[in-house]
Amino acid sequence: MTDPVIQAVDVTKRYGEVLGLNGFTATIGPGITGLIGPNGAGKSTFFRLLVGQLKVDAGDLRVLGYNPWGEGEFRRMVGYCPEHSTLFEWMTARDFLTSLLRVDGFPKAEAHARATEAIATVGLSEAQDRRLVTYSKGMRQRVKLAQSIAHDPALILLDEPLNGVDPVGRAAVMSLLRRLQRSGRHVLVSSHVLYEVERLTDQIVMITNGRVIAYGDLHRIRSLIDAHPHVIDIETPDPRGVARVLASMDHVVSIEFPGEGRLRVQSRSPEEFYGALPGLVVREGLDIRAVGSADDNLDAVFRYLSEGGHGPR
Amino acid sequence: MTGQISRMLVVLSLSFRSSLQGLRLFGLAAFAAVPTVLVGAIASTGASPTLLENASELFVGALTLPVVIMVIVLVIAVAQFRNEIDAETLVYLSDRSVGRGTVVFGKFFGAWGASLALALPAALLPFAVVSAAGGGPSSPTVVPAVAASVLLATAAYVGFFLFLGLVSRSALFIGLLFGFLWEELLLLLPGDAPRLTLAFYFRSFLSGEISSGPLAHFAGAVPGTLAAVTLFSVTVAFLVLTVAAFQSLETAPDRGNA
Repeated sequence: MTDPVIQAVDVTKRYGEVLGLNGFTATIGPGITGLIGPNGAGKSTFFRLLVGQLKVDAGDLRVLGYNPWGEGEFRRMVGYCPEHSTLFEWMTARDFLTSLLRVDGFPKAEAHARATEAIATVGLSEAQDRRLVTYSKGMRQRVKLAQSIAHDPALILLDEPLNGVDPVGRAAVMSLLRRLQRSGRHVLVSSHVLYEVERLTDQIVMITNGRVIAYGDLHRIRSLIDAHPHVIDIETPDPRGVARVLASMDHVVSIEFPGEGRLRVQSRSPEEFYGALPGLVVREGLDIRAVGSADDNLDAVFRYLSEGGHGPR
Repeated sequence: MTGQISRMLVVLSLSFRSSLQGLRLFGLAAFAAVPTVLVGAIASTGASPTLLENASELFVGALTLPVVIMVIVLVIAVAQFRNEIDAETLVYLSDRSVGRGTVVFGKFFGAWGASLALALPAALLPFAVVSAAGGGPSSPTVVPAVAASVLLATAAYVGFFLFLGLVSRSALFIGLLFGFLWEELLLLLPGDAPRLTLAFYFRSFLSGEISSGPLAHFAGAVPGTLAAVTLFSVTVAFLVLTVAAFQSLETAPDRGNA
């Protein structure tokens, strides 16, 4: 039997009176696993526990067999891409990665080579000598991803890595994650968009209110979500032009303009929508800066799962 | 061990460079220039060398040490942990395989170096202006004494503020209270109360050296060696506390997007 990559048993984490995680129990195996939950569900708390930024209040947590609280060389086996987008703004991407690798103990020349390679892997070579303060949100996501893989860790923890990344960038990131999996790495990736993660893996852990409410059985979860139109937010300097193209998709049921440079699209088939978007961007020359998913629809599914007796399975 | 030292030097470099960036550098450098600009302004009026000497020594005791250097060190040292915890960038260092003690020492030396890069010119350039105007310090040992005082004072303050920035969300406010109430008010009290301040010890270095301003008649000074040992001990004590705190404290910000 394969050893679990991450094992959480009744893990509880409190922030004062607020429960961040509440008896969280899950066994996460090799390969790619998706951690799905609405904003505020406890995903980031779980990641912070996994990287030892927070300490477990109760229960037991093991990462690659180690207790993540504390320090040690085991950290070199883990790469972490946090959700927030702040970086060392005054540095260039190459300087940033090289410095972190040297902090990890790599010699200067090797750190430089690894940084250059990781930046190329995420497609930022042309911008690697620009200061990070000038980077867009999507570019920042890719820098964070690069620093999480540059030291060649066995386990990569990605907290909402696709949030704010443009469609072409999403496809590139997903392709990279598949390559990492094929090369034997383990990946835990969080998202509040099931369809993103579903394209990567069928190993799903669903979390809400700090508890695991379901895992696996994607078909059942998908059928529930399909009953709720999926809301997609798009940032573009040409909302009307993009709306014209998207309106031709059969599964798009409504398009709104919630603010300047923004579009809100409802689709009955998010899988088709996300699948077709990169092609449309290239073919129609759409200028889409960011794609995000409001999680109202997912909330409804989570309410169904958590209130309807569909507990952890 | 060699590995940890080279990692510490990388953290030191990151801390030093981040401390002296952008608007912060501009603001602190402008602040550090105030004593020199004031002495330069007096020199430009054609004041006598003696008056310039008195002015430069007055500013050391009344402006440079208690205000300019205090603010420089407070801003730089508190930011080392507090800003990074609030901006959630500390995780880029804390989730690495580097020891947390190494991170603390790297940040200490980086912040100390950055503080000295601004504090030493703030303290010494006024004397250069006096010298350029044809004057000189009242005693040949004034400049080395001021430099030694600044070196030890900044080390002790950096140690304290580094710790404060790690353990308190209100570090800047507490630091201001410490710098401008505790340090200044206790010095005015009779008896042994002044010995509870750091200022008492680094001012002891200047006792008998400075002939103008509040340091000219600094009472109750301890010998230089005792003052140096005390300031060094305080620095080491706060470094040890900071390492212990960093190893035991959670470093995530308030519950944001859980």
